[in-house]
Amino acid sequence: MIQLKDVSYVRLGSPELEQAESFATACLGLQIAERDNKSLYLRSDERAHTLCYSEGDPRDQTVGFEVEDKGSLEVAASTLEALGHAVHAGTAQEAEQRKVKAFIGFRDPTGNHIELVVRPERSGRRYFASRDAGITGFSHIGLNSTDPLRDEKFWTQVCNARVSDRIGDIPLMRVNAIHHTIALVRAPQAGIQHINHQVESNDDVLRSFYFLNEKRVPIVFGPGRHPTSGARFLYFKGPNGMIFEYSVGVDEIDDEATHRPRQFGFEPTSFCMWGSKPAGMVLPNK
Amino acid sequence: MSESTKNRTTPLIASVCYVRHVVSEPQACARFVSDIFGLQQVADQNGEFAFRSDERYRSVSLSRDQNDGASVGIEIWDGATLEEIGKRLREHSFIVRAANSDECRRRYVYSALLAEDASGNRIDLVTRPTRSGRRYFPPRDAGIVQFQGIGLRSTDHVRDLAFWRLLGAEVTDWVGDIAYLRTDNLHHRIALYPSRRNGLLYAAFEVEALDQIMQNSYFMQENQVKIVQGPGRQSASRQIFLHVEGPDGLILSYVNGMAEMSGSPRPARQFPLTATSLCNWGSESKDVPELSALG
Repeated sequence: MIQLKDVSYVRLGSPELEQAESFATACLGLQIAERDNKSLYLRSDERAHTLCYSEGDPRDQTVGFEVEDKGSLEVAASTLEALGHAVHAGTAQEAEQRKVKAFIGFRDPTGNHIELVVRPERSGRRYFASRDAGITGFSHIGLNSTDPLRDEKFWTQVCNARVSDRIGDIPLMRVNAIHHTIALVRAPQAGIQHINHQVESNDDVLRSFYFLNEKRVPIVFGPGRHPTSGARFLYFKGPNGMIFEYSVGVDEIDDEATHRPRQFGFEPTSFCMWGSKPAGMVLPNK
Repeated sequence: MSESTKNRTTPLIASVCYVRHVVSEPQACARFVSDIFGLQQVADQNGEFAFRSDERYRSVSLSRDQNDGASVGIEIWDGATLEEIGKRLREHSFIVRAANSDECRRRYVYSALLAEDASGNRIDLVTRPTRSGRRYFPPRDAGIVQFQGIGLRSTDHVRDLAFWRLLGAEVTDWVGDIAYLRTDNLHHRIALYPSRRNGLLYAAFEVEALDQIMQNSYFMQENQVKIVQGPGRQSASRQIFLHVEGPDGLILSYVNGMAEMSGSPRPARQFPLTATSLCNWGSESKDVPELSALG
């Protein structure tokens, strides 16, 4: 079984690096770690980077997950190959671009580009935000799935993800104590549905709501509260239609052995217990 | 302040206990207060519409009575304190008179002095306001816990402040000349807003948590009720608020999380009259001048 430790980074293609930079710093509030003609590395926590825009097609979207060591990586590669997934062994140069010691790339059953990485770099300097959004770190992703039942099996049987809760057939899955690291979203094609950063407090969620409104950033869902994880959230749209989320107060699953996924009905109150309605954002389809 | 009150171990003001409001359409307003805002409507008398929000027998009433319909009720510790306060207000030339039995009955109190601050706001100083043996049972799940306090418009904030100080209230913080007045362990129960006119600015009701502030916010949007300001958070008191407006300009507020004053005394802090002093999340009020930092 592939033992995912945590989500490590997201890589996004961008035809307009300057636009991405201006959004990431002036709106989202991340710190620029490094920038050259072709790429922009952004920090959100103690890690050297958690988001990287590189010049290219915005449909190029990759999620990196950390695994324990090179041995785990080799086991993962053979497991995936045995299941018929083509595995790309990362070159030294590619690993350097990702600020990791080693990695492999493959596609999940939906076709999402996934990387498994070993020893992603941390930074000695603490994270220093470009605006006071209260970000405490990159935390999870919403991942498109053309078949949630099939993909839940992949993430929970081939990998070590566990289902924390379900809304209809949509699983929210954890790879550590945090309620979810991967939220599947039914969609017609592969892709990252949203990128979540945690913030310090409720205040930060509400402040950003007013701040982003003023900046005319489209708020697509929230401010709201997920009854599943308990998190207070705000979803908004960045460059190339990518949706970002701030949230605070995600539950932790304390008792791994006895936790049973709760079933929520597929209805609006299962996504927001405050009553906010998504606008300009598609909810996971049933 | 006289020696007798300096040495008191009990406060002069026990609570802010009711608001009585005059409206042109009490029935329409009553529907707003119960169906929309979520207070429990109770049997009325004298053509008044009355509402509960907690264990109190009444905390809001609506009437058409221009003469004796509008006032705020301040519960005074006991009868002796009430007498002392009455004497003091008269000494400082404030209008005070004893309520007759009919006026007390209408207010559901044992005894009362009907006073006016310098702006002409009617302040009922009352003893033994009636409580109910039945628990509060609201018409919808708005999460209201209790009546918390009021915002008052003031046309003469220096003299009005003197009025409240004679009642033992203390300023905890200033935003411009807006004064937050403390009467117990909470940051404030009464806020005085400099204004061109007098009257009640808002009546605030504590709800359980942020969840209820936000749920009520979406409920108001869905029901096309005007949100005057919020959801927001007062910078000085850290109180989360949502101000909504019903018929006749009646503003009712959901609040939660006000700071408690504990530990050693501190002087009142001065905040500038800016939008971020009134709300540190960034909400603004466009239409209510007292709530928008217009000065």
